[in-house]
Amino acid sequence: MIVDMHMHIDDIPALGWHMSAAQCVAAMDEAGIDIAVAMTITDLPEVNPTAIELIADACAEFPGRLYAFARVHPWYQEEAVRLLRRAVTEHGFKGLKLHPVTTIAHPSGPDTIRLIRTAAELGVPTLFHCGDEPMTTPLAIAPAAAAVPEGTIILGHMGGYFHVDEAIAVAERYPNIVLETSAMPYPNKIKEAVERVGAERVIFGSDGPVCSPVLEKEKVGMAGLDPDDEARVLGGNAARLLGVAG
Amino acid sequence: MTIDSLVFLGSSRFGVELTAEALATGCREQDVSLSLASPPHPPDHDLRAANERILSAVDRSGGALLGLFRVDPWDAVESIETVERAAALPGIRGLLLHPAEEHFRINDPRVRPVADRAAALGLPVVVATGTPWQSEATQVAEFARWCGDAPVVMTNGGQYNISGLSQTDAEAALTLENVHLHTNGVYREDFLQRVVGEFGQDRLLFASGAPSFDVRYEKRRVELLHVDDGARDAVLAGNARRLFAIPDAEVPA
Repeated sequence: MIVDMHMHIDDIPALGWHMSAAQCVAAMDEAGIDIAVAMTITDLPEVNPTAIELIADACAEFPGRLYAFARVHPWYQEEAVRLLRRAVTEHGFKGLKLHPVTTIAHPSGPDTIRLIRTAAELGVPTLFHCGDEPMTTPLAIAPAAAAVPEGTIILGHMGGYFHVDEAIAVAERYPNIVLETSAMPYPNKIKEAVERVGAERVIFGSDGPVCSPVLEKEKVGMAGLDPDDEARVLGGNAARLLGVAG
Repeated sequence: MTIDSLVFLGSSRFGVELTAEALATGCREQDVSLSLASPPHPPDHDLRAANERILSAVDRSGGALLGLFRVDPWDAVESIETVERAAALPGIRGLLLHPAEEHFRINDPRVRPVADRAAALGLPVVVATGTPWQSEATQVAEFARWCGDAPVVMTNGGQYNISGLSQTDAEAALTLENVHLHTNGVYREDFLQRVVGEFGQDRLLFASGAPSFDVRYEKRRVELLHVDDGARDAVLAGNARRLFAIPDAEVPA
């Protein structure tokens, strides 16, 4: 089973970005991807108060193909916690997405820690945008992993362009960190990550449908992993985290 | 046919290396006919010697390489001499400016003499783009205005951001007709498709950026674009041939 841990569905006229569930599934079919995790680009409750419904409806449109993560703004504190609980317990969402570029909420600040802790209590992972911008770097996120050792922290993009080595290093330090491969442009770093932290803590994501899921899946192949490790990275690990049959 | 519009051939003081043998092997495996090679910033900081090594590699390559001379604008006199020498050598087709590794701001007025001389000679200038404060797309656009009609090529899609936050700036730079983009390391393939759709197929050039970037992945990035075959051919080779004046006779079979 191939599982893409990072896809987007949203409709943002201001940016001219329209990413539908149908686009995601078409891109998945082109790439031979069985299941994908979908999330918005905008945050709950602002600027997108209907993000839960948007993603829930999209997943309902393609049952068994799309699973949902809730993208929530930590500054909304108790409201944010309530929204995450509602998404998971009432709508079957499988995780929390945090993007400090859009929220400017520090990844190890108390509001964020509260949300990650709630996700852990609910038994779902937290996927961070982890790139080169302030508040998204591996070393900025690492204290959150230390503060919530019972939570699974996924570093989306595994450090972007210039923080990939740091992403692997913090994953070595904190066993609850998982590295996600989307858009990061260095296939050999997937191999290095597997060798240093283990194949069970590296997962495939595409950041599709606008990043090419075909290209991103091929990138994992270019890493030259052992077939069993490649199967774990491409789907087995994500299936375990999502609680779906792998 | 595929032309790799930028590789860094040699040893870098920053710990990466691409040997001529490794480049030749990669080109064979990926069906790359011709590469444009710049020196990396060498361990001994001697750009003059590094440029000469590129020239030698071009001469020894049997037509598989053309060169870009790397210019350090802080060396005011030598930088102009380097530009003029580049223009006089048939194996050298342009310049490489690397603000991050030579520590300058691309739109610093002290860089202008290099731009003015390149403009006068019609030499293409590749700018390593995307580092904050030194080579943001908006800053490269100012530099490109100094270059007149001489082509300016921004590496890695004009930005390094894994949310694509500077792509709007890269698109603004493309409103200048002499500005072009390399395809390597670009976040979101739909950005490349949008560039083709909005600015035309002649503004993108395939480049691997090897050895820091992976030629296999970067070539597939272009091969998988949802553009027509004519646009793909232009990106993979045609645009490089036009910008760097590479006639049929210089492209290995």
